[in-house]
Amino acid sequence: MFHKILIANRGEIALRILRACRTLGVEAVVAYSEADRDSLPVQLADEAICIGPADARRSYLSAPAVISAAIVTGCDAVHPGYGFLSEDETFAEVVGAHDLTFIGPPPPVLDRFASKEGTRRLLGSYGLPTIPGSDGMLRDDEHALAEAARIGYPVLIKPSAGGGGKGMRMVRTPRELDSAIKVCRSEARSAFGDDSLYLEKWLDDNRHVEVQVAVDRYGHGVHLGERDCSVQRRHQKILEEAPTPALSPAARADLCDRAIRAVVAAGYENVGTLEFLVDGAGDFYFIEINCRIQVEHPVTEMLTGIDLVATQIRIAAGEPLGFSQADVQFRGHAIEFRINAEDPAHDFRPGAGVVEAFHTPGGPGIRMDSHLYPGYEVPPFYDSLLGKLIAWGPDRATAIQRGRAALDELVVDGLTTNVEIHKALLLNETFLDGRMTTNLLDRIGSAAFLAAAART
Amino acid sequence: MPDDRDPARADPRDDAARAADHAGIDRLAGTLVPALIAKLGTLNVGELEVHEGDWRIRLRRPAGAVSTHGRRATDRPSRTHPGHDQHGHAPASPEPHRTARSVPGAAAAATNGSGGPGLAAVGPGRSDGSVTGGGRDSGAGSGGSDRVATSPAVGVFQPGAKTVAGTRVRAGDRLGVVDMLGVPQEVVAPIDGIVVGVIVDAGTAVEYGQELVHLEPAVAAEGR
Repeated sequence: MFHKILIANRGEIALRILRACRTLGVEAVVAYSEADRDSLPVQLADEAICIGPADARRSYLSAPAVISAAIVTGCDAVHPGYGFLSEDETFAEVVGAHDLTFIGPPPPVLDRFASKEGTRRLLGSYGLPTIPGSDGMLRDDEHALAEAARIGYPVLIKPSAGGGGKGMRMVRTPRELDSAIKVCRSEARSAFGDDSLYLEKWLDDNRHVEVQVAVDRYGHGVHLGERDCSVQRRHQKILEEAPTPALSPAARADLCDRAIRAVVAAGYENVGTLEFLVDGAGDFYFIEINCRIQVEHPVTEMLTGIDLVATQIRIAAGEPLGFSQADVQFRGHAIEFRINAEDPAHDFRPGAGVVEAFHTPGGPGIRMDSHLYPGYEVPPFYDSLLGKLIAWGPDRATAIQRGRAALDELVVDGLTTNVEIHKALLLNETFLDGRMTTNLLDRIGSAAFLAAAART
Repeated sequence: MPDDRDPARADPRDDAARAADHAGIDRLAGTLVPALIAKLGTLNVGELEVHEGDWRIRLRRPAGAVSTHGRRATDRPSRTHPGHDQHGHAPASPEPHRTARSVPGAAAAATNGSGGPGLAAVGPGRSDGSVTGGGRDSGAGSGGSDRVATSPAVGVFQPGAKTVAGTRVRAGDRLGVVDMLGVPQEVVAPIDGIVVGVIVDAGTAVEYGQELVHLEPAVAAEGR
C-alpha cells in the first residue's frame, strides 16, 4: 500500500478521496489552488499544499505543479479524482517517470483506451455492440459531412478527449453540422487541449446506462452492476440511479456480463465505467469507457457496500481485488441527486457566492457527499457541483420517497441551486414510471418542466 | 465593529440617522470587509481602500505578518485540530466566518466621512464604491509596510547570490528561483526596494504564493 497520496482535485471528490485514504490508513496531501484555500478538503487534510492560482490551467490542470507538489511533500502516489488530469495519459506517464503511481489505469492501459473511437473498435472486437459512427477522427469539414451522410442524420459530434458534455452537439442537418463543428472544436480545445472530434449516430429516444467494473493487475475482474444516467440536460447528468428501470433483470445481467468479459479480455485495469446507449427496443450499444472514478459512484457503493475509491487505490497499489463476482451482492435501489449551483429556471445558469446556511438531510438510507459548510464561498472558477445527495431504499418507490423527504430537508441558503428540478423530477410521471430518456428535460426545456411540476 | 466616531463631537442627529449608520457599518463589516480581505490576499499590495457614500474602509496587512496562508505541507506540526492550527483564515466550524465581525489576517477599520482616530486622511469619500489598490503610495508613509516576494510555483527555493539583507533591488529583479521539476521559475521583486531578509532557507520546499523575501520599499528606506 502507498505511504502518502497527493489528492490533485478539489470539492466533494477531494473530500471523498481523503476519506478513502483515512479508511485505508494512508496519509493524504490535498493540492489546492489559491481560490480553494478556505475549502473543506484543505481544512480537513493531514497536509495541504498550494499549487497555483485560481486558473485551473496553472493549478489543477498543470502536470508540473501537481507532480512537483507530490515530490516535495514526499508522496508516492497521485489521485487525480475526476475531470482535470484524471484521464490524461501523458500526465499519467510523467507521474510514472517521477517514480510516483498514478491512481487509475497504468499509463499503457490508459493509452490503449485513450481514443474513444479506438476503444469502440477494440471493445467491439471483444463482442460489445457499438453505435454506428465515423471512421476515425474527423479530418476536416468535408470529411465530417461525408461521414454524417453515410451514418445518417441525426448525428452526435463528440470530442475524442474528455467528458461532461463539453464539445458535444447533436445535429440534424448538414447546415447544423457545419456550424456546430467549429464550436465543438473550440470547446474541446479549451477544455481538453485536444480538438479531435468524431461522429456517432444519434438515437432520439435513448437511455444512458453504464456498467461499473473493477479489474486488478492480475486480470481478475468483476462488474459492480449498472447505473441509469438518463436524466440529463444538454448531455450533463443530473440524476443517476441503480438498478436501471430500462432493462429486465435478465437483460441487466447480460449487459454487465458482456461488459466485464470484454474489458478483461481487452486488458483493462483498475476501476472504470463502460457507457452504453439503450434504445427503445432494449438493444444496447457501447459508446465509451471512463478510466476514472465517476461522480455517480456512490450509487453503486450504496447497492454493493463496496468502497470504490478504496478499491481503486488498492488496485493501483498492486493489491489483488480480493473478492469475486459471487461476492458482489446488490441490495435495493439508490438514486443520486447532483446538487449544483445553477438556476434551472434560467437555462441552468451557473452561480457562485457565499453559503449562508447549510443543512444536510439524514435518516435511513440517506448519504450526502459535499464540501460545503456555512460561510464557505463557492468560487466562480470551477464546475458548479456543490454535492451529491444519495437516497437508498429496499425498492425504487422507497428510494424515491426518501429522496423526496431528503430534498425537502436539505438547506443550501445563499446560492441558487437546482434542487427544484429534482423535486419536479420526483413528481414527473415519466420518471416515476421509469421511462425517462436522455431528452426528458431538453425536449420541453427545464423552465417548462418546472412549471408543469408546479401544476401537479 | 466599534463605532469610531470621535466622542468629542456631540452628535445632534436623530436615532434614525444613527440606526442607518449602524446598519451601514454592519453591512460593510459583514459583506465588504470579507470581500476585501479575499482581494487583499490575492494582490501583491499591502493595503486596499474602498469608498462608498460617506464611508470608507482601509485594509492593511499587519506589519511583519509572515503569512495569511493555511497549513503548509512543509510544516509538520500535529494535525490534531485541523482548521485551527496556524490558520490565517477562519475554521470550518459552524461559525459563519464570512460574516464574522472579527477580521483575521488583516487589520480593518471603518470610519465615517469625518475621519476616525488612527487613520490617515484619504480625501473625501467618493460615492462610486470603487476599490483601489493603495499599496505603493498611500501605504508608504504610514509605516509597517514591508513588501514580500512570493513563490511563483510549488517546488524548491534557491535565493540568488545577491539576495541578502541590504541589497537594493528594482521591481522585476530576479531574487531567486523555485525549481519546479527541474524548470526554474523566477522569484521577482514586486517593488523597488531593499532586501530586508530571506524568509525561507535555500533548498526548502515551498508552495505557490509562499512568502520568500522581505523587501522594504525604496521610498520608505530613503526617507530614513
